[in-house]
Amino acid sequence: MAPTLVTAAFGALLAAALLGAAFDRRSVAVVVAAAVLPDLDAVASLVVPGATNALLHAVWLPVAAGVVLYWDTERRGVSRLRERAGWRGVRTAWVALAAFLVAGVGPDLLGGAGVNLLYPLHDAYYLVDGGLLFSTRDGVVQTFVTVGAQGPGILPFEALGTTESYAIPTFANPDGRPGLSLGAERELHLVRTGWQLVVVAAAAALLTVRFRPARSGRTAGSEADADGERSVAGDGDEPRVVG
Amino acid sequence: MVSTVVHAGFAVLLAAGLLDDRFDRRALALLLVVVVVPEADTFLGLFMPGAHRTVGHTLVIPGVAALLLYYDTRVRERSVVRDRLSARWIAVAWAALFAHVFAHVALDWVHLDGVNYLWPLRDQFLRLDGAVLFSTADGFVQTFVDLRIDPATGARTVDAGPTGTTETVHVNNPVEPRDPDEATEEPVNRIFPVANAGWRLHLVGTGLFVLAARRLQSRGPRDGGE
Repeated sequence: MAPTLVTAAFGALLAAALLGAAFDRRSVAVVVAAAVLPDLDAVASLVVPGATNALLHAVWLPVAAGVVLYWDTERRGVSRLRERAGWRGVRTAWVALAAFLVAGVGPDLLGGAGVNLLYPLHDAYYLVDGGLLFSTRDGVVQTFVTVGAQGPGILPFEALGTTESYAIPTFANPDGRPGLSLGAERELHLVRTGWQLVVVAAAAALLTVRFRPARSGRTAGSEADADGERSVAGDGDEPRVVG
Repeated sequence: MVSTVVHAGFAVLLAAGLLDDRFDRRALALLLVVVVVPEADTFLGLFMPGAHRTVGHTLVIPGVAALLLYYDTRVRERSVVRDRLSARWIAVAWAALFAHVFAHVALDWVHLDGVNYLWPLRDQFLRLDGAVLFSTADGFVQTFVDLRIDPATGARTVDAGPTGTTETVHVNNPVEPRDPDEATEEPVNRIFPVANAGWRLHLVGTGLFVLAARRLQSRGPRDGGE
């Protein structure tokens, strides 16, 4: 699977892009946790055969969460979540759900180790990988979606195998099969390839920028004298209008 | 090149994260211009050997731009930029610079022959490739930069993945689909990639998802949740 660090970085980027007025340390932590959550099925695979990239990567849990969230916040007269956690709670919940799918499952499905999307109703690992291009000789060529492909899958994507035949080695479970193999060599990938390093670096830089202490506003007492009128003019860090 | 569409997808994700509620349609338009313009060095390639991934993909230009912007808006007594642009647009300019470095130059850095990162100060293409992992057998391993110390002489060699100079490197692109130095009889096949790997489709999809989600979102706490 995609390294958990990369998943967390994607989650942080999504949090910054989508949380809006709900953006703070706590809500970012919740969203990043939601992005990392699917990777925990690697631990479950120590007990459940073939749970890696299946148990928590399947679509059923996020679909159910989405339906419950929609029903509670939009269809019900009084939303329980909004009563308890307010607007911030609702926004954070939606972004966390998005991070679970886009940051948690997405990198594994698209060019990663493959995801058992319909587990346990239908058992097949899918991988969306290939190319989409326009060539002056061959026209539009795409190999992401393959209709009528061989293998156990029922979705039009490349199928890698079933929980029986396809095991994904992880740090928690080096051979991908149930049972602790204590003596085995384990590898914890932080970054598997160049583009993942770019995503991690971008996320780290972006969070540093977003969480930097405000130059204007509350600390004006000490800094305003030295900074002159520039700090009054601000640089776009004006306090957010709420309500 | 990593397709411009992929750059745009990642750039949207980064700019939306940096600008938050200042990321509107006009900011998006400027961002897309900043993503596309560096690719114009493909046309320069017709006149200057190895121009693609060199002129528009050097880190010198964004570095100088950032220094100038910082000096003008923070250090100078009276800022020319602030006289003309609102604080909002200065923030947009910073975000566009950030997106250019991370979503454009950095993503090309890890692709094919990399980028000519210090041109014109230095003519050297670098390609970033490797992995970082912790192994119970070998401990921490990183293979992006190869640092070697010669045990005999104590001389240090740093290998960060050089791939050549403008003389030797040609990165294929739709304008120049093959290296002009190679004589071949084959008919020209220009390839315009959209996404040539799953992870690139993921970046494109994530950018589109962010745009769609931000349109669907309510703008602020309607019920005064604070």
